[in-house]
Amino acid sequence: MITLQINGLQVKVEKGTTLLEVAKFLGFPIPTLCHMEGLSPYGACRLCVVEIGERSNAKLVSSCTYLAEEGLKVRTASARVVKARKMIIELLLASSPQSKTIQDLAAAYEIRQQRFKQEYEDCILCGLCVRMCEEQMMAKAIGFRGRGENRSIGTPFDVQAEACRLCGGCMYVCPVCSLRCTYNEPEKAICGACTNLSPPCLDKEQFDDMMCYMDPCVACEITKD
Amino acid sequence: MFRVSSIEDLKDLFEIVSRDVDKSRLYIVICAGTACQASGSNDIIRVAKKYILQNQLLDTISLKITGCHGFCEMGPFILTEPQGAFYHKVSTENICRIIDAVIANDYVEELLYTDPQTNEKYYKQSDIPFFKKQQRTIFSMNQEIDPIRIYDYITNGGYKALGKVFSKLSPEQVLEEVKVSGLRGRGGAGFPTGLKWEMLAKQSINSGKYIVCNADEGDPGAYMDRSLLEGNPHIIIEGMIIGAYATGSNEGIVYVRNEYPLAIKHLIIALRQVRDIGLLGENILGSGFSFDIRIVKGAGAFVCGEETALIRSIEGKVGEPRQRPPYPVNKGINGNPTVINNVETWANIVFIINLGASEYAKTGTKGNSGTKIFSLVGKIKNTGLVEVPMGITIKEIVYDIGGGPPGKAKIKAVQTGGPSGGCIPVRKFDLQIDYDSLAKAGSIMGSGGMIVMDENTCMVDVAKYFMNFLKEESCGKCYTCRKGTQRMYEILDDISKGKGTLEHLDLLEELALVVKDTTMCGLGQTASNPVLSTLHYFRDEYERHIIQKRCDAFVCKELVGAPCQAACPVGTEAWRYVAHIARGEYEQAYIAIREANPFPSVCARVCDHQCEEHCRAGTSGGDPVAIRLLKRFITDRIDPSRYKPKRTTVIKKDAPQVAVIGAGPAGLTSAHYLSLKGYKVTIFEAEDKPGGMLFCAIPSYRLPRETIKKEIVSLLDENITLKCNTALGNDITIDQLFNEGYKAVMLAMGAHKSRPLGLENEDADGVYPSIEFLKAFNLRNEQLAKGRVGIIGGGNSAIDAARTALRQKDVISVTILYRRTREEMPAFAEEIEAADQEGIKIQTLVTPTKVITTNDFFSGLECINNELGDTDSSGRRRPIPIKGTEHFIKLDTLIVAISEDSGIDCIGPARSSKIEVTDWNTVKIDQNTLLTSRPGVFAAGDVVTGPNTVIQAIAAGKKAAEMIDHYIKGEKMDQPKKHILPQIYVEPFVVELEDAWQAERIETPRKSIEKRKRNFAEVEVTISDEEARREAQRCLRCDLEFTQPQYIEKECITTEGK
Repeated sequence: MITLQINGLQVKVEKGTTLLEVAKFLGFPIPTLCHMEGLSPYGACRLCVVEIGERSNAKLVSSCTYLAEEGLKVRTASARVVKARKMIIELLLASSPQSKTIQDLAAAYEIRQQRFKQEYEDCILCGLCVRMCEEQMMAKAIGFRGRGENRSIGTPFDVQAEACRLCGGCMYVCPVCSLRCTYNEPEKAICGACTNLSPPCLDKEQFDDMMCYMDPCVACEITKD
Repeated sequence: MFRVSSIEDLKDLFEIVSRDVDKSRLYIVICAGTACQASGSNDIIRVAKKYILQNQLLDTISLKITGCHGFCEMGPFILTEPQGAFYHKVSTENICRIIDAVIANDYVEELLYTDPQTNEKYYKQSDIPFFKKQQRTIFSMNQEIDPIRIYDYITNGGYKALGKVFSKLSPEQVLEEVKVSGLRGRGGAGFPTGLKWEMLAKQSINSGKYIVCNADEGDPGAYMDRSLLEGNPHIIIEGMIIGAYATGSNEGIVYVRNEYPLAIKHLIIALRQVRDIGLLGENILGSGFSFDIRIVKGAGAFVCGEETALIRSIEGKVGEPRQRPPYPVNKGINGNPTVINNVETWANIVFIINLGASEYAKTGTKGNSGTKIFSLVGKIKNTGLVEVPMGITIKEIVYDIGGGPPGKAKIKAVQTGGPSGGCIPVRKFDLQIDYDSLAKAGSIMGSGGMIVMDENTCMVDVAKYFMNFLKEESCGKCYTCRKGTQRMYEILDDISKGKGTLEHLDLLEELALVVKDTTMCGLGQTASNPVLSTLHYFRDEYERHIIQKRCDAFVCKELVGAPCQAACPVGTEAWRYVAHIARGEYEQAYIAIREANPFPSVCARVCDHQCEEHCRAGTSGGDPVAIRLLKRFITDRIDPSRYKPKRTTVIKKDAPQVAVIGAGPAGLTSAHYLSLKGYKVTIFEAEDKPGGMLFCAIPSYRLPRETIKKEIVSLLDENITLKCNTALGNDITIDQLFNEGYKAVMLAMGAHKSRPLGLENEDADGVYPSIEFLKAFNLRNEQLAKGRVGIIGGGNSAIDAARTALRQKDVISVTILYRRTREEMPAFAEEIEAADQEGIKIQTLVTPTKVITTNDFFSGLECINNELGDTDSSGRRRPIPIKGTEHFIKLDTLIVAISEDSGIDCIGPARSSKIEVTDWNTVKIDQNTLLTSRPGVFAAGDVVTGPNTVIQAIAAGKKAAEMIDHYIKGEKMDQPKKHILPQIYVEPFVVELEDAWQAERIETPRKSIEKRKRNFAEVEVTISDEEARREAQRCLRCDLEFTQPQYIEKECITTEGK
């Protein structure tokens, strides 16, 4: 057993437990997009960062891949962690605003605008589908290709893999393409109506044509009255 | 081949090999490193071989083909042994002469390395400053050995360390030695090597341990690992065998990138030789210890230099880093413990064993022992690889070893550590180079790349370059690294195109810090360094891009447009009139000039032509287009009356009145533009004619009086009243002007006072400040210079005074005395050259110490000689007096031309009118609005800047007119800046390819020395029609990129597509 401290709480966990698992067990919320029980941890989305170590040695690590260590002191929501998470969500929003999962996250972290150039990307390369295909469906039909800005997910030479059984597991786990916010977005607006008490669509005329995932959403119902 | 199977065998081998060594044998050592091969050393080797064979010199002289020696700028070069002479930039024509010279024990004088600055010739390689100040422990071996001959390595002490380890030391003792030596990983992070090894040694796993040599060197501009592997592969192998012995590992891997074919080839040969000789393989030297090395070739992903990615790459998977811990030393290749060290680290091991740890640790500083190889590249005179002890300052590397900047541009910063490193500005050059202080300064040691940057490097562009590199080379796993680098690039790109805002800077910094914090591996964690360090040290440069829309280095294309236009203070479209000249459309050319500049004929003669300094034909390696000469050609041909300036407002009777003080270029320009804008202007001039400095200071042999008069007449119109002999303070005051109903007052009195030397007797008869001397002659025709004339100073006013003095009737000789060297003289090069041609002596490196008088008359000067010392903050080397070199120079007249300031004559009246002045006797203004501390009073020209160029005064006058207009109309004065790109399309003139090859810059035509030396007729003459058109056709037409119809169309399509 390993003893460690998480948000000031002393806990004993088994060797090989990740920090994310510890936090979840204790009920400390940590957002993540690339983690799923039953799939191996990957550490791609960086949302699950937590702060470990003290003073000048303090650093952020991804809790999904970091194993519990004896005497480790973990902070799951320090100012540094929250600041980093907010920036990551802002980046996500700037690239994939049509994902409901991301919109909800943004609302939960009270992000009201993003400051980058708006993009509409269907993939955040979290790799859930790749691991789903490989580890649960035993197919290995898709994988990562290229590096840096040219990284993408697909099959070799874009030819459908024979191993693919069209099971749809990859789509099922996708945090970006399966749950879509379908509003007609004015530049840089963030909906988040589903979890946000004061959704922006209430006071902005240009949202007239908005199609919300929650259709009919609570906010819209209120305005209709 | 001799095979060794015990320590005794190895000793025998050393014995046999050293017996064959003939120290007196003549050798020609030719560097065949990659850089020298590129500059032609392969041909030289071929010619040398042929020559030796043809002349049957095989018994007298040998060739040795070695790896890189480091002085790559001077390649291909040749060393001779045992002479030790160093020949640089050798060609196939002169290699045979060198061979003959070596045989005759002689030197080929003209091919020896000569210092470009001091012209000193060096006979021995070791005396050359580039080599002298280095401590070449590891690198010096490169020039001794042929990398494909193992016996070369052995005769130079190779495998001695291995013998010592296997015969005398236990693995624990080797570990202890490495620990005591204090060696830190040379790959960049600086982890103590001994500690790492110890951790590996402690791992008790039977399935095997690995040691890896990381030769995945991918930093742009760094190539020291490559040169080591190419030039001395055995030293790496020996180091690895020792490492394996100490840590008990039995498999070694060299991970080398496939882009290094020569390194791979030499390594394969070396490994085969070592195996054949029995130092690799089963049961090495009968010790029972087995070890072998294999090569893994990397496919060139930058991220594979990161150790966890490297391990995955060796395993045959995609090079993607993973979370540490577990560290490779616990779980590495295939799950087995692994130690990864850089090429240079392995090379250092051999020296630690040979010298002994405590001896080794004496080099460098505490905590940072040993030497480090840097690849010194960029804007530096001596490009190459340098090996220096740790703790040396950046200044020493850049200026002493590197020789400083190659041209006139000053060095601004160095970038260390490649894409993960940062930029260190010149003011921090006293920083000691070691792992910790570099990290503290916001950079990293990295593997040792050192890119020197000068004023022509744009820091925004540097950051953008590295972000572009990183966004492609990030593995893409971590979202923040992949997207973060992309977004940082996007923002930097916007800034470099003039689309950035100040909020962007904050966002950039915020994002950079998060990327640094949240990524998994070293690449991501350091990826922000180029942005953060440039933002930290060069934020003003970013702000210049955003607010002023200017890139001072003339790099950011979308801001600069055509460099000639961007460089011109008044924004003359030089490209446009040059294009018209090329097509023979002279009148249109004149209009293009006159639209921006009210004094074209004056500027055609005396402008400092910043346009030529930044002309791409010049900055890209050739000679700039002679833009000023072309302007002269046009202004000589077309009469000013052909241009009718556009009036923006019709003058009404009750038009507001503006007073301009001073009828120099600044005053006249603002009066002209104010008149066009519909104001009534009165110019008050203290002298009896307008022209200001154009008349007083610039001699007529450079600027004929007729030209000035004609130009001034063309500017004066019915709205402008000129009142001469009216000085501010004596005849009028500012209060008075406002009372008379003037809405605004513009001060443009110029700088009329020379700064004194600060020596005793300076007011003696025969000593004149240069302005006084020039004014006396130019305005009143008084010839003050007599006999032997001395002039102190090196600026344009010194040269003007000298050349004017030479033309006066009682003058015997003229000497200019300057405290630095001729290269550092601030005067225009062509003016210095002309003075030289006319027989003016230029004595440099002297400072006057005493003014000697006889009966109150000036009779001579006591001077002291200087030498050049340390570089000062301006990047120039400081003159330092040499004691005991005081000497007397007999002179009859002394003219002091060290600098001018506005002087009390001008500043006095300003100050009495409640206008603030600076400590340098200039009027204090707001740079953006040109307003002084008193509302309604503006100032421009030399009275603000101190002595400056004519074109700067014109630019200031032009701006003042605009500001006064805003002021009187009650508009906002501080308007946002817009960058002006070329807009008008002038069809290019088609040049035959043959002519294009032959095109050379035209020489400035001058009257023959005999005809001009003693009179005031204009020295420069105009060029012919044909010459002008040919010169204009040399223009590269940077404007076409923006004005060509296809370009615009393409832009439209892409924007629509989005």
